[in-house]
Amino acid sequence: MFQNRREGWALALPAAVFSFLLFLVPVGILLSEAFRFEGSWSLQGYIDFFAQPLNQKVFLRTLKLGVLVAGTSAIIGYAAAFCIVNLNDKSRGQIFGLVVLPLMISPVARTYAWIVILGRTGIVNDTIVGLGLSETPIRLLFTETAVFLGLLQLFLPLMIISLVSAMENIPRDAIPAARVLGANWLQVFTRVILPLTKEGLVMGGTLVFTGSLTAYITPAILGGSKVLMLETLLYQKVNVSNDFVSASVIAMILIVMSFSANLLLKRIATARS
Amino acid sequence: MKNLLLSATALTFCAASAFAQEKTLTISVYSFAQDAYKEALYDPFEELCGCELVIETGNSVERMAKIEANAADPVIDMAVISSHDALALSQKGLLAELDPTKLSSFDELYPSAQNPLGNNTAVGYTFYASSIVYRSDLLTVDSWGDLLSPELAGRVSLPTITGTQGPLTLMMLNAALDQDPSDFGPTIDAIGAKADDIVTFYSRSSELAQLMLQEEVIAAPVGRFAWSRFKGTDVPFAWADPVEGQAGGMNVMLMTKGNGNEELAYQFMDYWLSAEVQTRIAIAQIDSPANMTVTVSDEVAEGLTYGADLINSLKILPPAEIISKRDGWVDQWNRVVIQ
Repeated sequence: MFQNRREGWALALPAAVFSFLLFLVPVGILLSEAFRFEGSWSLQGYIDFFAQPLNQKVFLRTLKLGVLVAGTSAIIGYAAAFCIVNLNDKSRGQIFGLVVLPLMISPVARTYAWIVILGRTGIVNDTIVGLGLSETPIRLLFTETAVFLGLLQLFLPLMIISLVSAMENIPRDAIPAARVLGANWLQVFTRVILPLTKEGLVMGGTLVFTGSLTAYITPAILGGSKVLMLETLLYQKVNVSNDFVSASVIAMILIVMSFSANLLLKRIATARS
Repeated sequence: MKNLLLSATALTFCAASAFAQEKTLTISVYSFAQDAYKEALYDPFEELCGCELVIETGNSVERMAKIEANAADPVIDMAVISSHDALALSQKGLLAELDPTKLSSFDELYPSAQNPLGNNTAVGYTFYASSIVYRSDLLTVDSWGDLLSPELAGRVSLPTITGTQGPLTLMMLNAALDQDPSDFGPTIDAIGAKADDIVTFYSRSSELAQLMLQEEVIAAPVGRFAWSRFKGTDVPFAWADPVEGQAGGMNVMLMTKGNGNEELAYQFMDYWLSAEVQTRIAIAQIDSPANMTVTVSDEVAEGLTYGADLINSLKILPPAEIISKRDGWVDQWNRVVIQ
């Protein structure tokens, strides 16, 4: 494409310098704090962090909710993506637009809507009480369930978009051929669809899991201080305790979790094929 | 000649402009009600002094960190902050000792506001009461202990321990539970035992107002400065007068040590503490006055912590006690309440 490699490097240089100076350097300095203790290099920050029962619980809750949101997104996402790719072009565009629409709305607005929906006088509790499932409204806000629903709604579109892109590349005859050869729908999914869409699943899973780990607004609004997650704990450490060492440790844990999830998903996809 | 005159005029304007820009005062304030402050305080002062105010806002932790980080060459000249945060800065040697003779309204301040830290490094500029807001059509609240009663299970919110209201609530619950005033431990345990009955531990009064308007919460402790969020609504809210009394707190103004802008900082502090400005700020319902000579109508007073009787009756937690015990409270809170 370029006459010589220098032209390519010259074009990439501004973006590289920008990323290096304004992202990698400050993040590197910040994260290096996570390995400093009383003036020397140490893992003491991590030992102290995981020695606290509250931190252990917050870490496990963040991991659990990330996995649950990613897993549920994948299940709902496959069903939705399968429907979308089998629609005619016009309907596909309309439905795909509806899927993308929430991404254009502020996460704050979307999350506040859940406060109204899940509140004591919200539509969910009105339905539960109306159907006689409970005599009084049940508490849904400031629970893990509320955070789970908020995160699922926030990131499900990313999974659907990834899976639709992957499914569009499946040869049109592959699924009918498998059915003709006697495969049931479970076999079609596990032997045809899943292997052929693994890249989309890895991408969607990484986006959803990483997004769930790092989202701040939704856990803060729907979980509050009763359902602390690593990101809300990190905010507390910076803005309430002025404890930048613990905040750096949490940031490093979040980064490691994100990279680990990506590697794990890639490995699972490779193993299946 | 004409060109020469034009040039001289332009140079004069430039010099005047440069001089005016040199005369600046950097203040660090809470981020709330900045538009109202601008109208009631900042703009009139800039006009009066012919100077420019540089206003830095943020939460207490951010602002304190900035003062500490720039201790050798202060970028903040003057700040307003809670009395216990001010004491923390004072203990680190970051504050200048104030000369009361340079504050013409000093003698008009309530005695407790004149030297709240005991070392002349701060003066109080506003008080706030703290009590319980509740839904008067659904219940009556007579005691701080009612917050943990079975009737309010699942309908009550408490402030988080790390905010200003948290320790005040602990102090009043401690009194209601008849515990040793110097030890909040058993009270934190009592809250922990009822943690499932508490809807959430809020950190901002705006967050609480929304939950109460939505009927998610029907009673919660809150500072009087947030009362306007409730009283102007269609929902019947009441301000409790508990048998244990109302808690209270004070925000103070201070000057950083060695800022080099002391005269202008004194001028600004003096202006802020004057009866004229404190009245204007009170009428705008921004802050309650610490100047005893301020008089406002009953209607205005309704939204404030106003009057000697009320201010003298407030149960104030000593700043030194908050600083020395806060880490222990937060640690226990995280173990038995949030856990």
